[in-house]
Amino acid sequence: MRRYIKWLALIVGFAGFAGLIVFLLVKLTPSPPESEVELAMKAFSRANKDKADTYSTKLFNESRAAYDSAMANWKRENKKFLFFRNYEKVETFARLASKRAGQATTTSQINSSSLKISVKEKIDSVNKTVSGIDHIFGRYPLPSDSRKKVAKGNMLLKEAEVAYSKGQYVQANSKINEAEYLLTTVFNTELSDLKDYFKSLPVWKKWAQQAISESARNKSYAIVVDKFSKKCYIYLKGVKKFEFDAELGINWVGNKRRMGDKATPEGIYKVVNKFQGKQTEYYKSLSLDYPNARDMERFKSELSRGSLPAWAKIGGGIEIHGGGGKGVDWTEGCIALTNSEIDVLYDLAKVGTPVVIVGSVKDLSKVLENELLVNGNRGDN
Amino acid sequence: MKNKVLMGLAAVAMVAFLSSCGKVPQAKIDATNVAIDSAKVAEASVYVPAEFAAVQDSMKAITAAVEVQKSKMFKNFKKIEVKLDETIAAAKKVQADAVAKKAEIKKEVETLMTDIKAVIEDNGKLFKKAPRGKEGAQVLEQMKTEMAAIDAAVVEGQGMYDKGAYMDALNKVKAAKENADKINGELKDAIAKVSGKKVVKK
Repeated sequence: MRRYIKWLALIVGFAGFAGLIVFLLVKLTPSPPESEVELAMKAFSRANKDKADTYSTKLFNESRAAYDSAMANWKRENKKFLFFRNYEKVETFARLASKRAGQATTTSQINSSSLKISVKEKIDSVNKTVSGIDHIFGRYPLPSDSRKKVAKGNMLLKEAEVAYSKGQYVQANSKINEAEYLLTTVFNTELSDLKDYFKSLPVWKKWAQQAISESARNKSYAIVVDKFSKKCYIYLKGVKKFEFDAELGINWVGNKRRMGDKATPEGIYKVVNKFQGKQTEYYKSLSLDYPNARDMERFKSELSRGSLPAWAKIGGGIEIHGGGGKGVDWTEGCIALTNSEIDVLYDLAKVGTPVVIVGSVKDLSKVLENELLVNGNRGDN
Repeated sequence: MKNKVLMGLAAVAMVAFLSSCGKVPQAKIDATNVAIDSAKVAEASVYVPAEFAAVQDSMKAITAAVEVQKSKMFKNFKKIEVKLDETIAAAKKVQADAVAKKAEIKKEVETLMTDIKAVIEDNGKLFKKAPRGKEGAQVLEQMKTEMAAIDAAVVEGQGMYDKGAYMDALNKVKAAKENADKINGELKDAIAKVSGKKVVKK
């Protein structure tokens, strides 16, 4: 019996000692930074869902780096003996990861929201530019390079709209910026050229008015060709008698500078010859005195300034002739009317009848009938 | 003597019990990582980004849970093993979903490609019939340039498709198709105006 009591006491004593050891081990073991890391993980996950990697890249990367550091430190500490572990660094990195992830989420929400608004505004603005280009330059002989830019810009605009509709604001922003650059460049350059061209409007108006006044004074005919309106007006005694559609040189915008530029000259001319039948290629024609003294002077000046190549010639043979009615500007620089219209003009005009060819007799704003141009907003931006 | 043997057995049983749940399920962790990598290779981040992110989050949680257990004196990885099994299954599903979505997008691009080629061909025919009326030549000239830009976009889209970048190709071809449709409508309108027919817009 005594032997059994002795054994029982020994077992209880051993169990108690073992229990104390286990208790001390558990109590003294540093507790893992579970909650800090879990919080960091959740914050990082939320930032990821809010596309912080795209809209708040720096903070998101900082959060990721801090989280990775927390995990690396945790793994390193866990390799140490139980009592020598220290999770302070892990906790610090985990807290930093949480903080940065939270900041990344907030920044991402703000950035994506503001980018969304900004892209939408740009898309609307570029669409207005496209409308402006269509309205002002739709029927205008834009240079090939400008046309290509417009086409490329339109394509990029559409791609931006597709990306925007899918919530891909970064891609949409990149596309719309490219589109904006191309289209705004074309719009501003062409509008600026057009405005420069229309600086001659007072002179054009003066020439036209002089011809009309002379027609009134001399009780004779005068011919006025308005290039922008594509019209040929015939005045008698200062009163407009006829108005015909005119077809011009392919590059009708601007004055004729040299032979072969396919431009219709601008100036005060007169009929110097009349041809019909086999004498002309285009049914009937009124030959003009291009180049006149003013044309010659300008041509020589351009040659001397080097703005024209030394081999350039001034050209000639500008006529008002038949064969028109094609609906396009197709001549080498002449003014084409339909055969029935040239019949009328051929009978009225005499050698010496004044012919004034101008860019326009109307203000640019009236010609284009475009509010953008009247306000001058876009062109001046 | 008998008691000593019993105590020895009890001690061995205790050690066996304590150590049975204490091993890191490394094989399953590796298998899960392989499954996630396979989903990544299948471009799950591109085609099913939300699902893929969920799997990645799950793996992150498992990695943290493993460290939690490693931090403890008495480790138990049973729950983690269950989680790993679930994540492997989820990763495989994500992979399958990504493959399916990719095939779907690919098909969508192919359909769009067929459609746009038909519209481009139609535009070519309509362009020849389009009225060269007063000043219309410049409008047609711009349309011609736009059509060339559409052709270039289709070539670019085809290049993306050939490289397997179906999402990019989809955006590119979709935009080109919308522009081609716009030109188609304008050409039909212009022709209808001349012929006096009314165009029914779809």
